[in-house]
Amino acid sequence: MTPSIPLVIIGILIILGGPLIFHLVLASSSSYTVPPSVLLLGPDNSGKTSLMTLFERGANPSKTHTSQIAHSVELNASTDSDTKASFRNYDDATGTHTKFLLVDTPGHGKLRNVSMGKLARTEKVKAVVFMVDAAALGEQETIAPTAAYLYDVLLFLQKRASSKGKDKASIPVLIAANKMDLFTALPAAMVKSHLEVELSRIRASRSKGLLDSGVGIDDVGSEEQDGWLGEYGSDKFTFQQMNEFDIDIDVLAGSVLTEEPGADKWWWWIAQRVVG
Amino acid sequence: MLDAFEVLTTSGVVVWSRTYAPVSPAIVNNFIADTFIEEKNGSIAPTDSQSAATNPAYRSDQHTLKWTFVKELGLIFVVVYRSLLHLSWVDKLVDNIKTIFVQLYGDQLTKPHTTLVECHSFDEYFDQQLRELDRSSNIGTISPIEEEEVPSNGQQSAPGLTYRGRTLNGGGAGTQDPVSTDSTPIPTPDASRPSTPGNLVVAKAGPVAKMSRRARKAQNSSSAPVSSGDESLTSSRQKKGAKATKKGRKWNAEGFADEEDDSLQLDYSQPNRASESETEAVGRSSALDAVESSTWGSRSKGKFILKDLGDEVHDILASAEAEKAEKAARAESKTGLLGSGVNTISGLFRNIVGGKTLTKADLESAMKGMEDHLLRKNVAREAAVRLCESVEKELVGVKTGNFESINAKIHSAMESSLTKMLTPTSSLDLLREIDSITSPPVTSLRKARPYVISIVGVNGVGKSTNLSKICFFLLQNKYKVLIAAGDTFRSGAVEQLAVHVRNLKELTAREGGQVELYQKGYGKDAAAVAKDAVSHAAQEGYDVVLIDTAGRRHNDQRLMSSLEKFAKFAQPDKILMVGEALVGTDSVAQARNFNAAFGSERALDGFIISKCDTVGDMVGTLVSLVHATNVPVVFVGVGQHYSDLRNFSVKWAVGKLLSSN
Repeated sequence: MTPSIPLVIIGILIILGGPLIFHLVLASSSSYTVPPSVLLLGPDNSGKTSLMTLFERGANPSKTHTSQIAHSVELNASTDSDTKASFRNYDDATGTHTKFLLVDTPGHGKLRNVSMGKLARTEKVKAVVFMVDAAALGEQETIAPTAAYLYDVLLFLQKRASSKGKDKASIPVLIAANKMDLFTALPAAMVKSHLEVELSRIRASRSKGLLDSGVGIDDVGSEEQDGWLGEYGSDKFTFQQMNEFDIDIDVLAGSVLTEEPGADKWWWWIAQRVVG
Repeated sequence: MLDAFEVLTTSGVVVWSRTYAPVSPAIVNNFIADTFIEEKNGSIAPTDSQSAATNPAYRSDQHTLKWTFVKELGLIFVVVYRSLLHLSWVDKLVDNIKTIFVQLYGDQLTKPHTTLVECHSFDEYFDQQLRELDRSSNIGTISPIEEEEVPSNGQQSAPGLTYRGRTLNGGGAGTQDPVSTDSTPIPTPDASRPSTPGNLVVAKAGPVAKMSRRARKAQNSSSAPVSSGDESLTSSRQKKGAKATKKGRKWNAEGFADEEDDSLQLDYSQPNRASESETEAVGRSSALDAVESSTWGSRSKGKFILKDLGDEVHDILASAEAEKAEKAARAESKTGLLGSGVNTISGLFRNIVGGKTLTKADLESAMKGMEDHLLRKNVAREAAVRLCESVEKELVGVKTGNFESINAKIHSAMESSLTKMLTPTSSLDLLREIDSITSPPVTSLRKARPYVISIVGVNGVGKSTNLSKICFFLLQNKYKVLIAAGDTFRSGAVEQLAVHVRNLKELTAREGGQVELYQKGYGKDAAAVAKDAVSHAAQEGYDVVLIDTAGRRHNDQRLMSSLEKFAKFAQPDKILMVGEALVGTDSVAQARNFNAAFGSERALDGFIISKCDTVGDMVGTLVSLVHATNVPVVFVGVGQHYSDLRNFSVKWAVGKLLSSN
């Protein structure tokens, strides 16, 4: 034989093995299974990055400053283990644990599009945690941008839910009222009512406001109902109205920096959504 | 001396920090917001090649911040000190610390899905650098201030700390003369190992979190303490030393008996640890630690460790230096024929398939194309160059994705760059703002008053037209509006407004809006007219006052100077400048001059871009305006009718700017 047997075998191996190796290299570079994600949204200085580091470290959240990019950490949640209600579950071998990504986003106004982009593009979003600074929420300067951001987030989720086509799971929202350890902090019920009032006000002024540039006159009639958050034509906005779009909204109080009331309630809320 | 030194990531986590005096976190937050996010001083996006000396120092009221940035790791090194002090060696310190830190812990920072960096042993390196640089600097000027700083840095154990610090220094670095030992190292001895319990947790959680549960358990039961990865880099002798410290510290700081020693390490829920607030924990434990470790150090191996560490640091710095030189040399001299041939082919291949690491040369031609594209869109040259430079710096060293061409990469980077530039820090909801001024909440102690908007701009850009468009919008929302004729110069200006008011009255009569004109004829002082109009409106219960002003050339000092008086008299809530989309490069100068014209306390609040319907896709003017002033675009005029006023949408503008035709 002109080409010897070993040569033929090597040739066949290369021909068959080449694509296989190529495939393996490609496959190893990108993970196939995407773990579920939980997004941390909220205005700047509300404690998103602190909460993320608290959950990761178990205690003593890292010192943080204004974030510029989104960052995610991998955590394990469980609803049937011994320490299910606490995020300090590193040594816990009981029960089943579900891996998920907690994605921290920048809260600065100029980087809002980064955060909203994360919300739009992240796969398998199980829940959204919207952090607010309950201690500063009594002031007009804080509640106005906070509510405006929340309005955008809820409107996005509403549009996503009402858009037909792909059958996507609804995304529940947790409004995490942070900094309860501070003296000026509003209790959760007050945070809720303040936000509802502010959201109705924003909704009213948006409906009366100018059109965005780029929106043609022809689109006006059809677009109008889409831009309305909650029950169309209702006078006051309440979080219950979002149930219509399968969006559950809970308001829970807590604090990142202190043991009491701590962040366990938020963790339990997240764990239920991630596992469930 | 220094107030604080911090190493933080762009995701906002402080990886390592040292605090000598309490520094409000707001200072660093403002620094980040101004320098990195808003790019206020017009600085182009920072690169890692720059040292701290070339990066402009950031000054807040009392502090000066020097910083440097490592792009690929997303690390910011920032040092905070009092502006009163002139520390000549700070730049060098920041640069050296950057080099050392990146060398030691760089690989840890590239791990995905974690914020943990084990760098508790970095304290020693930092102290070594600080001591060395401080020693070489001028001693006389620093010492008195330093003595003042002493009480403020170690709250609990200040006296002992200082005392021991000096003894350590005297014994440890015995070669120094008495003057220098006295003045230099106040911060140095007190923290040869201030690894806090918090840091301990950090060190443990890292590897543990990555492991499976069973492995973790196994580790838990084995008696060896979890060693941190970085220690392998240091000498073995030092490793021994470090372990010894760790053990001693654990007992002392926790106050626990040794019966619990193993479980203690992985028990994160110690109430006494967690209950400490963050800053307290750092301060307290570092103080505690410092005392014991310094006693330990001075007694046994203090001197040796310091010396050893110094050598290692010098090695690191030297090797980094050499690497840089080598890289430069390699860039200049091309490799042999075969090597370059293979490189070219693989480069071409990667160009198509993706996964290519971009260099400046790769980007050059594509960036030129992008710059031309922006110039064709009527972006002022200055703004286009700035945008392209920032995009280029962002992309150099970045790998392209699978099957992603360079052009696509640049396109998406430019899109995000433009979006970031045009997005306002806080969005303007005019109606809500008017409501909060005209009918303030009962709880606030403000009195209701009319909301004042004034409109400025150069001649003929459409000030009066846009004013009446805004007026029409407000009237539709049932506000009571007073228009003040502040143009007391150009003949026909008052009559023009009168016509607008008459039209608006007719148009909105049945919708319930009310509008009146306030005018004092020609030749009067515009500022006085505006002031009278505002007080008249307050008396008559108007909601909004719209003040028209005379058009003025932006480089005419005489005309521009009257704007400062105008701003002082009329106290407008919003000063909007009208800029026309037709103007080209001059828009930058216009925006700058108008922004500066209202005195030091007042600036423009927003732009109205008029005549957008006449330029099609070439809306580059708005980029130029925002580039020059960082003032957001609020409204866009898109036609001849009263209703042709639009809120500015960033997405729309970016889409137009990047569309190719």
